[in-house]
Amino acid sequence: MQQFLQQLVNGVVLGATYGLIALGYTMVYGIIQLINFAHGEIFMVGAFAGLAMYSYVLPESMQGNPFIVLPLVVLAAVVVSVTVALIVERFGYRPLRRAPRLAPLITAIGVSIFLQELVRLFYPGARSQVSFPRIIEGPNLELGGVTIARTSLFLLIVALGLMVALQTFIRTSRTGKAMRATSQDPDTARLMGINTDRIIVLTFALGAALAAVAGVMQGMRFVSIDFRIGFLGGVKAFTAAVLGGIGNITGAMLGGFVLGIVEAMTTQYLLGSAYKDVAAFVVLIAVLVFRPQGLLGERVAVRA
Amino acid sequence: MATAVADRLQASFSQPVRLAVGGVGAVLVLSGCLLPWATFFFGFPGKVTLAGFPGGSRLYPLLLAAVAPLLAVSVEGRRRAGLAAAWGIVGITAFNIAAIGFGRSLPLGLLEERGGGGLGAVAIGAWLTLAGGALLVAAFASLRADDERPFHPRLPAPLELLAIAFSLGLILFAVVIALEVDETSRFISLVAFITVASMALARLGVFTYVTDLFDRHRTVTLAAAAVAAVVFPFTQGGNAYWIRVFASIGVFAAAAIGLNVVVGLAGLLDLGYIAFFGVGAYVGALFAGAARTTVHVKLPFLVVVVMGAVIAGLFGVIIGAPTLRLRGDYLAIVTLGFGEIFRILAFNFDWLTRGPNGISGVPDLAIGGYNFGATNEVLGFSLPGFANYYFVELILLAVVILAFTRLNDSRIGRAWIAIREDETAAAAMGINTYRLKMLAFGIGAFMAGAAGTVNSHVTTQVSPDSYGFLESILLLAAVVLGGMGTIGGALLGSAALFIVPEKLRSFQDKRLLLFGIALIVIIRFRPEGIVANRRRQAELHDGDPSSGDASGAPPGAAVVGAVSR
Repeated sequence: MQQFLQQLVNGVVLGATYGLIALGYTMVYGIIQLINFAHGEIFMVGAFAGLAMYSYVLPESMQGNPFIVLPLVVLAAVVVSVTVALIVERFGYRPLRRAPRLAPLITAIGVSIFLQELVRLFYPGARSQVSFPRIIEGPNLELGGVTIARTSLFLLIVALGLMVALQTFIRTSRTGKAMRATSQDPDTARLMGINTDRIIVLTFALGAALAAVAGVMQGMRFVSIDFRIGFLGGVKAFTAAVLGGIGNITGAMLGGFVLGIVEAMTTQYLLGSAYKDVAAFVVLIAVLVFRPQGLLGERVAVRA
Repeated sequence: MATAVADRLQASFSQPVRLAVGGVGAVLVLSGCLLPWATFFFGFPGKVTLAGFPGGSRLYPLLLAAVAPLLAVSVEGRRRAGLAAAWGIVGITAFNIAAIGFGRSLPLGLLEERGGGGLGAVAIGAWLTLAGGALLVAAFASLRADDERPFHPRLPAPLELLAIAFSLGLILFAVVIALEVDETSRFISLVAFITVASMALARLGVFTYVTDLFDRHRTVTLAAAAVAAVVFPFTQGGNAYWIRVFASIGVFAAAAIGLNVVVGLAGLLDLGYIAFFGVGAYVGALFAGAARTTVHVKLPFLVVVVMGAVIAGLFGVIIGAPTLRLRGDYLAIVTLGFGEIFRILAFNFDWLTRGPNGISGVPDLAIGGYNFGATNEVLGFSLPGFANYYFVELILLAVVILAFTRLNDSRIGRAWIAIREDETAAAAMGINTYRLKMLAFGIGAFMAGAAGTVNSHVTTQVSPDSYGFLESILLLAAVVLGGMGTIGGALLGSAALFIVPEKLRSFQDKRLLLFGIALIVIIRFRPEGIVANRRRQAELHDGDPSSGDASGAPPGAAVVGAVSR
């Protein structure tokens, strides 16, 4: 039982990261029906940008103080990720908006490889794993026999906070309303005076910012990152998005948590760590075959 | 920017002025290429310090200067063709100036040549060529814009056959020459030269003419191409290196053509395609009596090839059954998932695949007591063992190509294209989309399986790491870069993906970076790939103002494209 609870907690923390990345997939898909395959790489770039801030910009005397370090690291990650995502959107996807569906997907793969290689070749030491600062130090918390690292607890709170904030933003703000309108029908939204290009850019930026936070979280939790984390992270987050119902924001978060728990449980009880990545793929395939609209998704009409 | 400058000059000079500018430009290029390009010797290739002959990269601007006479002759397409060649002269010369001046210190570690000494090391010849190239650009830019009317002479039949033989001979010659160029800077110059020369020829309509010629005399062309392919090993003087590379290209190309059925014809983006190739390779290795294996059964090679293909095909159907009901972009991710599952399973099923160690020591092929590893003497030429594999792959390729063309021209092929264009419409027309998609998937997997079994003998070992996501992407890149839905594209794409990294050894580490950029750029500017499928090209450029750009697509094609939407 104790082991079960421990895995549950691990799964939820893992799922928080997946959920944050999944939001980016789901929002972009909701608006322009594009699977932004390069989104995983945006997450990876965010992690590296945060690390660069920590190791090359911050003076050593400040590195011990989480109240200074954390905001700056996150800020760097967000700024770099958003910039990269906007460049990709502007020069990669926007020219292809009217092209056949295959085209932006291949561009996304190209961008993905390009970003991975860029980091591998030009970030000092990134050819192998690089260590990431824990930032939040201190002993683990014990709760009824379940161990929770301070970092994990903090991350969970941040992730939940961001998810609620995003939800509120989309539900209540004027821009959020415009986003919803654009996702329902871009042409009509434009007729209603919404600058859809701006909304699309904003969507990419929001997704990238969340992915960047997830990148820093991943680094803090595993204390190391490498240029490949974007691939698996991206695929799993995509799975989470599909699981929750792609295009559905609450669904993406739910999907993230469910996937995280499933992964933790299968690793513990069913397959062992050698197959830990198989679980996500099996979930993905099963969902697509049996419930393609996902847990919370409505049936979407097929667009030509 | 370059085009903006050129556009401003459009129709500006009078003909005598234009001829004078172009003439001076051509003379400058000619003399520049015969004069030294470097002031002192520091090991830069091609004897560029010597005058009187066009050694090293100097040959390429010299050859490109042959477009100059076009200024005096009125041929459609000459402005754009001339501009391509003239910009080529400028580009190649500028690149070489940078290479001579700065060599290895160029960004990205582009070159392995020493170079150095700054611009002071660059001699008068290079500057003259650069100036000449610029004058040629100006002269061609000042012409009136061309209409699109491709070059279409009708020759008597025997001459046409001769033209086919000549074209293929030229290609073989170019390949042999290109393989002999060893230095990075010269190879880059050569690639640039081939690119701009082909652009110039394409813009003059020569390519359309030659393709048309090939289409009309298909049998002759195929025979001639087969002869050229068979002759290749004899041009290597008994040296195994390039034959070995070409053997690898052969396998890769066969798999790429299989993927082309899936992606190019049926329009299903499969990101885990390499798994089928891997299944074939494992079957090939397990049943070949390898030194370190888990199945101690040795079956005849032909049986194994069929077995590998069938098992891979079955996997294709098994994986396709649940996933092919999905829409295109989901399919991509699911196939990616399956590809990863294959790799993870191969990694962990020690009892069958020997896990990360893989199956190694796969013996040379032997059919009826004849060992394929042996060196042969044919007509006084010595052929290393790899030539045998090369020939086996030619047969494999021939079979795959035959299957591809027959399918493409059949009712099934047309149904695939209909599905690719619009699945809903295709279903409404009575096509059983699910079954046909499954067929495409299965056939693609079958071809990959066959290629995989052969590959296990070429590489002599099989391990899970050779069948990951990146390998799938490489295959996809070969298809997309070469041209979706065409055989020439798959062949050219595979060859380019193998030869270019072999040649740019200093660049090998940045190979993937280049692929990434290439994928983005190709999809943006030439989504139909290097060798375009005419119908597809018409679709992709449908409605864009530069429609028909550089393609020489017949005017009807655009209409066909519009209707097929």
